[in-house]
Amino acid sequence: MKDDVCIRNLEKDFGGFKAINNLSLRVKHGEIYGLLGPNGAGKTTAIKILCGLLRPSSGEAYVLGTKVPDPGMASSVGYMPQELALYRNLTVHENLAFYGEVFGLSKKEIETREQALLKLVDLEASKDVLIDELSGGMQHRISLACTLLHEPQLLFLDEPTVGVDPDLRATFWRYFEGLRDAGITMLITTHYMDEARHCDRIGFMRDGRIIAEGSPQELLELTHTDSLEDAFLAYSRTEGLQ
Amino acid sequence: MKASRAFAVTKRVLRDLKNDRRQLALIFIAPLLVISIFGVAFTGNVKDVHVVVVNGDTAVGNSSLSDKIISNFDTSVLNVAYANSESEAVGQVQNGSASAVIVFPANFTQSVAARASGQTSVAKENVTITLLADKSNPNVSDPIIATVNTAVAQTIQGLGRQAPVSVDSSNAIYGANAQFIDFFAPGILCIAVWQLTTLLTLISFVGERTSGTLFRLLASPLKESELVAGYAVAFGIIGTAQSAVLLTASVILFHVTIVGDVLLAFGVIALLAVVSEGLGILLSSFARREAQAIQFLPIVVLPAFLLSGVFWPIQAIPTWLRPVSYLIPVTYAVEAVRSVILRGWGIDKIYPDVIALLIFASVFLSLATLLLRRRE
Ligand SMILES: Nc1ncnc2c1ncn2[C@@H]1O[C@H](COP(=O)(O)OP(=O)(O)OP(=O)(O)O)[C@@H](O)[C@H]1O
Ligand SMILES: [Mg+2]
Repeated sequence: MKDDVCIRNLEKDFGGFKAINNLSLRVKHGEIYGLLGPNGAGKTTAIKILCGLLRPSSGEAYVLGTKVPDPGMASSVGYMPQELALYRNLTVHENLAFYGEVFGLSKKEIETREQALLKLVDLEASKDVLIDELSGGMQHRISLACTLLHEPQLLFLDEPTVGVDPDLRATFWRYFEGLRDAGITMLITTHYMDEARHCDRIGFMRDGRIIAEGSPQELLELTHTDSLEDAFLAYSRTEGLQ
Repeated sequence: MKASRAFAVTKRVLRDLKNDRRQLALIFIAPLLVISIFGVAFTGNVKDVHVVVVNGDTAVGNSSLSDKIISNFDTSVLNVAYANSESEAVGQVQNGSASAVIVFPANFTQSVAARASGQTSVAKENVTITLLADKSNPNVSDPIIATVNTAVAQTIQGLGRQAPVSVDSSNAIYGANAQFIDFFAPGILCIAVWQLTTLLTLISFVGERTSGTLFRLLASPLKESELVAGYAVAFGIIGTAQSAVLLTASVILFHVTIVGDVLLAFGVIALLAVVSEGLGILLSSFARREAQAIQFLPIVVLPAFLLSGVFWPIQAIPTWLRPVSYLIPVTYAVEAVRSVILRGWGIDKIYPDVIALLIFASVFLSLATLLLRRRE
């Protein structure tokens, strides 16, 4: 099957600093791809290029078969930025309704999906609460709900579980797996190595490129470690030696 | 461009405002405060202004027309002193002890009489009373001119005939009954809308950038032009509401005169709000944080405050500075709104100002859209 995301020899230069340095990766249709790496590895930059928010300096990236940047595919893609990306002076419902309208959903569609999503993120009671009055983790949950509202077939989630409590994180991952089983593709960045085991494939990223890639099982076996954290450290060390 | 998406943005901006008391206060209370301060400071009638009369008229006693005019001066406004020569009188204005010089020409009474009786040997022009006012402060020079004009009119009426007298005060800017607040109230409306709309768009847009909502929007089907248009409609509405409140308050509190079509004035102000909104979005691309955005404020506010004709007419601004005035959108809005409110002009007369504002709007909005479309 055709890959939903395909990045080839991608580079992104920020005034002489290469945030993305010869990055190549593919995300297959219907898989959860986890992008892992330290702060400044270039994960967010890569996702922004895929969402058409940054222009590649060289190389190319295809999303759903279309070369980015291309505004045409926006409605099929869901993007959860690393920032909260919510209007703090608006209530939960007003935020969801706004993003729904921007994606061209009808009032009815917004209403039904909002209900389901608020149930998922366990915030049904907070529908009319201002974002500003929610806790940090709750705000993050609403941010995810806003991303899922228009039922995209490809998701770019930049640290979707940061600040979310362990219970709910488990719920999120079960939901992501459910989405995947329904044929939705996901590219997810995270710093929580333990939750990366839910991914079908993982790319370890450092200094703007992939230093190792494979299923969680493969990465553990190759490095003879029993946690992804150790596996990453092992790769990081060998990188450092080179 | 899809209207429903732009409208979603409009709704969002208005909701944001509705939920934020601080912003609401900024929009409606702050300009009210400003207009009250100016209103209280400037509506008080000017009293006891020192003027120096140089009377070259040789007629004396009851037959002297000049003395009659002088006796008709409203003494609560004018405090009259005399000087023997014009240069001496001008000296008093220059050293600040008087605000104007009123010069009656030699043989004033005779000249007027000669012209009034239709003698053919004399020139046809009116006999002129020269008024040399300290024009640096129209608050003062204006009532002087008005008072002198009134006195002349009264005197002539008393004579019972059309007398050929005119007062030469090349500074007669407003109608004799207009108060200074009538003159600047339309300007305050425009300045308030200009300043607050630019500020609010600037801050909202920097907010859209820092909070990441702009990323979400740019990665959505919403087009940059729809975003800009949505904001424009929202701020057009806010600007109109703001000026409606302000104008109502000025009418109630300060009895500001409205001669013309209020809706036309609101239309112009809404257009100014759209211009300001475009500028706000433009400026937001140059600020990374709210604090940086605030630094733009003096650049936006001060030139408009000083050079757009809010407190004194453009004609009072030095010629070399005037081109700057015409680069400030507020100038056109002030001119148009004042003409509508005070002079009762219609669109047939203010259309050049409206066209200027439309040009500003299209330039700012297109530039704002282009800048949003740009990808690093
Ligand atoms: N607009 C920009 N201008 C200059 N440098 C930038 C810009 N955006 C990102 N960078 C740099 O590019 C590098 C990669 O940043 P990026 O945000 O992609 O990292 P990340 O992997 O997402 O990190 P984190 O885990 O902290 O989110 C960093 O060194 C960052 O300083
Ligand atoms: Mg990041």
